[in-house]
Amino acid sequence: MILTALANGSQHGYGIIIDVREISGGRVRLRAGTLYSALDRLRADALIVVDREEVVDGRLRRYYRLTPAGTGRLAAEAARLQAAASAALTRLNLAGGMAT
Amino acid sequence: MTDQADLERGYRRLLAWYPGEFRRENGQEILAVLMAGARDGQRRPGLAESADLIRGGVWMRLRPSVPRSARTVQAAVRLVYAGAAVSAAGLIIGLALIIVDIQVAARGQFLGQSLTAHKPLVITVWIVVGLAGVSMWLWMARANGQGRNWARILSVVLFVLATLQLRGAFTRPGSHAGFGVTVLYYGGAVLFVVAWLAGGAAVWLLWRPASTAFFKPPGSTQALHQAHMAELDRLRSSRARSPRQV
Repeated sequence: MILTALANGSQHGYGIIIDVREISGGRVRLRAGTLYSALDRLRADALIVVDREEVVDGRLRRYYRLTPAGTGRLAAEAARLQAAASAALTRLNLAGGMAT
Repeated sequence: MTDQADLERGYRRLLAWYPGEFRRENGQEILAVLMAGARDGQRRPGLAESADLIRGGVWMRLRPSVPRSARTVQAAVRLVYAGAAVSAAGLIIGLALIIVDIQVAARGQFLGQSLTAHKPLVITVWIVVGLAGVSMWLWMARANGQGRNWARILSVVLFVLATLQLRGAFTRPGSHAGFGVTVLYYGGAVLFVVAWLAGGAAVWLLWRPASTAFFKPPGSTQALHQAHMAELDRLRSSRARSPRQV
């Protein structure tokens, strides 16, 4: 989810929270603790890097972006989910067809 | 305005759960996110977000910091945490045995070989040793997860010591012991053996060639180089952030 939020450009922490809420249709509300544990992990795995830092209203904003490895991971993950979803849809259609 | 200051203080207190290094690096930024997400007029951190921050901080202190690709080290650390849980369970069983022991002694019967004469000193020492054992497990899990080579060596030493103790786990309870006590007694022995096996497996994993790459030998040029790079990074980032304070 976080990788998806970063897919079309760099984002700062609060931006990611808003973005993830929108992507999930309001179902996923990331909390700061969870977000930063994940960001730390993603940084350690070199899937994301700090893009730039800004100071807005006296507060630090750090923007993150995907690394090539992060883009690759996101693409692989998306393909996997798509395969699972289409398998489910195919079977549902099959079951529906047999029931009628 | 004072509401906001109160709230910020509350969040700062929660951030203290995080390791110092992480806080220095990310504290200001997380605080900004927390304040941005606060409701109007909110004066104190909510229960759920507090729990989330505390969990994040504790987890960040405990979890292995070696990269996820260090599969053998990660597995070893998990085993050591399991060992900590098992030895904590053993400690609880031991306490139950002590209580039974005291009760039986009060009735004038003795459990054959048991905690000698239930002297408070003996019992205290036993509990302290048990707690120290559990802390050793936790300490080893953490230090090995950070790729410390001394921890890997100390793990072997501790494992050898545990092996020497292993014989003690097979002594029989006294003849006066009732069924419940016997079950507790063997339960404790089984837990000790389980913990010992977990420790053995962990030590084996830690010394696999796949693990060795993630342990920095102390004093080597590579470790020195890494320390230099970390220092440079810190300097650079502190310079980048300093305008904020102006």
